[in-house]
Amino acid sequence: MTTRLDRITPILNWLAVGLVIICLFMIFFYAPNERNMGNVQRILYFHVGSAWVALITFLVALYAGIRYLRRPSRDWDTVAMASVEIGVIFTTITIISGSVWAKPAWNTWWVWSPRLTLIVVMWLTYVAYFMLRNAIEDEDKRRRFAAIYVILAFVTVILTFASIRILRDIHPVIVGPVAEAAQGVAQGEQDFAPGLAARMRLVLYGVATPTFIVIYAAWLANRMRLQRMIDQTTALKARVVARLQHG
Amino acid sequence: MPVNAPSGLSGFWQVVWAIIRKDLAAERRTWQILSVMLVFSLTAVVVFSFGLGAAGLNPNSALARDAAPGFLWATILLAGTLGLNRSLTAEQENHSLDALLMAPVDRSAIYLGKVGSASLFTLTMEAIVVPAFVIFYNQPFWRPQVLGIIFLATIGYVATGIMVSSMSSQARMREALLPVLLLPLSLPLVLSAATAVSAYLQPVPPNWADVQFPIAVVIAFDILMLTAGFLLYHYVVEE
Repeated sequence: MTTRLDRITPILNWLAVGLVIICLFMIFFYAPNERNMGNVQRILYFHVGSAWVALITFLVALYAGIRYLRRPSRDWDTVAMASVEIGVIFTTITIISGSVWAKPAWNTWWVWSPRLTLIVVMWLTYVAYFMLRNAIEDEDKRRRFAAIYVILAFVTVILTFASIRILRDIHPVIVGPVAEAAQGVAQGEQDFAPGLAARMRLVLYGVATPTFIVIYAAWLANRMRLQRMIDQTTALKARVVARLQHG
Repeated sequence: MPVNAPSGLSGFWQVVWAIIRKDLAAERRTWQILSVMLVFSLTAVVVFSFGLGAAGLNPNSALARDAAPGFLWATILLAGTLGLNRSLTAEQENHSLDALLMAPVDRSAIYLGKVGSASLFTLTMEAIVVPAFVIFYNQPFWRPQVLGIIFLATIGYVATGIMVSSMSSQARMREALLPVLLLPLSLPLVLSAATAVSAYLQPVPPNWADVQFPIAVVIAFDILMLTAGFLLYHYVVEE
């Protein structure tokens, strides 16, 4: 029995592989060299790309959680769980790549600036999601609680996003209002030879971020497919046991 | 409890009040929640002082002064998890929650009742701990603005805590699970409340413009978490 998911998964897998190869090539050979930081700046493509995907996964998880509470279904629970799982991994990539960049740029691995605070709160909140899931045996209850928690977690992330304006930021702004972006350039954190900044943006938003989004989609499809296989196997097992007992 | 098929708005508050009274009566007979919270929080005050070394043992040192608001929040949060754990675990162990759910009452009223009683316990604990901080750290924590912020943040913390502990009390290793879930969820609240409290502890009172934003976040947290609990609590307790 082939479902639509079975057909779409291999396509997404190959698309992801192809895009990753193109993406790596563009990051290392096409993207411009930054004046102050040199090659270290190329971390940005991984850093920003995975940060965007992490945000998208948590939004998807929130949506799936709400859908699950309105009408419980195995699929929405799997979407939420897989999205949080993938989101935590991309958040980890963002934190580690940022830290590696910060050491040469700021001469420290970590500062409690707003964006860094936000991402560490996000990471902690969503890692706890798995603690909750693992601690509940009853399956219906586990899915229901996970859906509730995903909603609460999102409220926290939104409020953290609001509250961190209290803190002073030294994180460079490459997306956002012109004044802030200009300030980022003035701080010397992103400085390209004339005309090359457009190339940086092309690699970042035209290639790297879409690649990471396709990786997410492929990963999610594989996770869904795996969940359905597990369900099918469990159902088949139950049938075999029933047959043996009554046969 | 004299609650006969409550209906309408007054019936709703009757249920909330009945649950608060029930928890207060249980506490008056056992003292198990307040005693644990109080002893823990006083121990925490002492441990934090020792943790700072010689500077912490001198309440007038700059280090002790700067660290005091942070220690106060750490103490409130940790003692709070102890109280929240007991509040819901006792309901589970005695199967009194099942009995409560059999009553034909709104689940949101049960939620607000639990938030009410747990807030009262936490505020009582704070009524002892805040003076202890005044004494041991020589800081003006008694200023009305500071007390107001502590009050608002406590409501938000307990509102989140009742949601989370109602879930964690139904799980394995429930005592350990609550802080892992609750503390990250409370971080925006702590960050804002601690910032505002520090500002009001300074010798010169801060401009309203400097503190209005953190205070607004605390209030927004209270409203959002109470609303989330109000809307979602029946999913937490339904069988």
